[in-house]
Amino acid sequence: MPPEAAARAPLSPQLQAGLIIVGVIVLLGILAPWIAPHPWDTISMRTRFLPPNATYWLGTDEYGRDVLSRLLIGTRLSLAMGLGATAISLAIGVPIGLAAGYFRGWVDEALMRAADVLMAVPPIMLGLLFLAVTPPALWKTALAVGLVYIPQIARLARSVTLSLANEEFIQAARARAEGASYILFREILPNAWPPLIVEASLRVSYAILLGSALSFLGLGAQPPSSDWGLMIAEARSFLDRAPWIALAPGFAMCLLVIGINLLGDGARERLDPRLKSRIAA
Amino acid sequence: MLTIDDLTVRYRTLAGEVEALSSVSLFTRKGSTLALVGESGSGKSTIALAAMGLLPAEAQVAGGRVLVGDDDILAMTPAARRRLRGTRVSLVFQDPFSVLNPSLPIGSQVGETLVYHRGLSRAEARARAIALLDEVGIVDPAAVARRYPHELSGGMRQRALIAGALAAEPELLILDEPTTALDVTIEAQILKLLETLRAKRGLTMLFITHNLGVVKRIADEIAVLYAGQVVEHGHTSEVLRSPMHPYTKGLLAAIPRIGARKEHLAAIPGRLPDLRDPPAGCRFQSRCPFATPDSALPQALLDLGDRWVRCSSALRLRDTIWPDDPPTPRATEQKREIGKPLVEAEGLSKSFGRRAGLFGWLSPSRQPTETYAVSNVSVSIAAGEVLGLVGESGSGKTTLGRTLLRLIEPTSGTIRIAGETVTDRPQRALKPMRRAAQIVFQNPDSSLNPRKTVRELIGRPIARFRLAARADIPARIDALLDLVRLPRHYADRYPHQMSGGEKQRIGIARALATEPRFIVCDEPVSALDVSVQAAIINLLADLRDRLSVAYLFISHDISVVAHLADRVAVMHRGEIVEIGPAEAIMESPQHPYTRRLLDAVPRLDFP
Repeated sequence: MPPEAAARAPLSPQLQAGLIIVGVIVLLGILAPWIAPHPWDTISMRTRFLPPNATYWLGTDEYGRDVLSRLLIGTRLSLAMGLGATAISLAIGVPIGLAAGYFRGWVDEALMRAADVLMAVPPIMLGLLFLAVTPPALWKTALAVGLVYIPQIARLARSVTLSLANEEFIQAARARAEGASYILFREILPNAWPPLIVEASLRVSYAILLGSALSFLGLGAQPPSSDWGLMIAEARSFLDRAPWIALAPGFAMCLLVIGINLLGDGARERLDPRLKSRIAA
Repeated sequence: MLTIDDLTVRYRTLAGEVEALSSVSLFTRKGSTLALVGESGSGKSTIALAAMGLLPAEAQVAGGRVLVGDDDILAMTPAARRRLRGTRVSLVFQDPFSVLNPSLPIGSQVGETLVYHRGLSRAEARARAIALLDEVGIVDPAAVARRYPHELSGGMRQRALIAGALAAEPELLILDEPTTALDVTIEAQILKLLETLRAKRGLTMLFITHNLGVVKRIADEIAVLYAGQVVEHGHTSEVLRSPMHPYTKGLLAAIPRIGARKEHLAAIPGRLPDLRDPPAGCRFQSRCPFATPDSALPQALLDLGDRWVRCSSALRLRDTIWPDDPPTPRATEQKREIGKPLVEAEGLSKSFGRRAGLFGWLSPSRQPTETYAVSNVSVSIAAGEVLGLVGESGSGKTTLGRTLLRLIEPTSGTIRIAGETVTDRPQRALKPMRRAAQIVFQNPDSSLNPRKTVRELIGRPIARFRLAARADIPARIDALLDLVRLPRHYADRYPHQMSGGEKQRIGIARALATEPRFIVCDEPVSALDVSVQAAIINLLADLRDRLSVAYLFISHDISVVAHLADRVAVMHRGEIVEIGPAEAIMESPQHPYTRRLLDAVPRLDFP
């Protein structure tokens, strides 16, 4: 079935919901400095611990800062964290996976056993390991999270490559003396994109969660930054007095992750050629 | 026994509603075999599914009846339909490799219906299954019943499937391309078995196939389908001897026959009409050389006494034969010159070993083993010559073809191409050889990168070997498209926007782009329909004449090889058992295996 026909087919409800949720959150993040009702970092002792009200829709925190404004600004940090980390794991994981799947043999063994070792360690521990040796900063957290997820991306890229490497068009490329890099990046990669994009979109949500968890542990964004993980960490001590300070970023994170997952799953259904042929058959 | 009455089936697809069957009427008499013949998209599998009451959910029966005996399958409740399938009608599928459940022993799969439909105990079903396996000619049935599908050869699996279909003691057996996935020698055995079973059990068979040779061997009656309609229905021998519908004529003329070598095969131009909006008149009109203004009117199935033909000109055309494709005039009229050896292989072997691997020392029982896919083969192919390579699956044909091009590294032996030894060089030093020697693949879906346009696909080899200045590449692409007879605007198409035959032409154009002197054609027509196959064979023959390229033409279809090849090599278990001029091998094969192979080919000619 031609892709034009697929493009015209109606979007599934799942994909629609994902697009709407993620779209709105991204838009809010982009517009945050202009739509935030109050300055996000101005301390005001008179407005400490106000519950949600008409002026401060989501209440204020222990320094009297508006939670909604902090949340909106924090959206940018979370998205940057998720996208940055995923970009890093794609940039390194995809070439590794392509090479392992195409060359097989000892290259494959070496790369995949190394990936196994990394995957055997829980991601949060691995992130801690990367961060423990240097003073914390947000970009380092993104880097660490990106590195942690390389094995998963590499595994997927490898499995896609394994099935593509048997296609006759790869033999045809070899029969005209194409080099390995041409075959990997010009012949295989364009066909490997759909599953990789789906996986990457799901990785964005994992990266956001892991990044926030590291921030929560004090190894990511530093105060007074309004990273969602950091906001929850700071609000922890006042959970009994002012639960809204922690609930707001928690709920926002939840919504974003659900949105991204809906988007990823919806895209998988749409892009997976096996599912597509089942509909068309 | 089976009557299909005015059946119309539509499929809902994303691209729109497709009319797969339009008012199809058929019947089989009890104890006779009806063959359904047609190319892909003709609707023959839909008929099989309808006759079993197994149409998928997206199929919609717009009208008609399917009667088994006197019962209408389409009007039955699902439970009654299931009962019918377990007792009176059975189906044998095409692919014996995917139909059997790999994790159940053969015996319990054969006896399954008996437990479910006849209430037999496990032990009784087992005993019956062994008897059935014995009946379909399986040696040592008790032992085979305990085995799993992967332990059986393709032919044995197909026998087991037939045994399973017989377990229900059906009156009607529907066979959907039951021999297509099998080698010719196995195919011959299965056909013989079906013949015996039919005589013994008085079975009625609906036999679906695209192979007219098989039809001639097994069927009493034949129904030819085209674009969801029956176009001709009559006694097999009469229809095959004197086809009346133009499509049947074309189909028969397009098949290469052993012993009747022609310069050109007749080909049917054009393609199937779009079944989302089928033409009101004759559906074959656009491809028919005999079309008249009358063809635009709806065509009824005419009853001509012994035959039904859907063509208003049928009687007028009774004795007209399908016109021969005018062969393209040769550049030189003299006999094709076969030059000096271009490709020479000596003592070529390729073994696939299971290496011990990184952790092999941990399991001393798993010794490295070696099997020879190609064993000590020596061949030479002259410039402008076509060497046909035939053999059954697993005989090492493909491995030999790819080893010659060093797409697979040989284990031992030497290869010389155009006077240069290519076996002693590293891959990166093979560029001159890669330009001189190209390959065309079997599967047009897999051989073209789906993400590239035709322009990129055939432009890349030109750029890769710097055969033209960048500005001249578009002109080269146009020239290549002309050469394989595709319109120039195809340069912007993606593979999925083309038919199988068109994709195969692009595959050939890509191979020709480097101006090679030698092309390995690895089953280039096996995945194509008969009418398309003829056009591709003609194209290959024509290109050989005009460009004097040499081919190694690999095929399991001996008639195709015999048609095209100057010399034929017969491969069996990795060795070439016989090699010689094509006529000599077809007429007086020397090696017993060659004889066996030739005897097994279902032939179309009448004595």
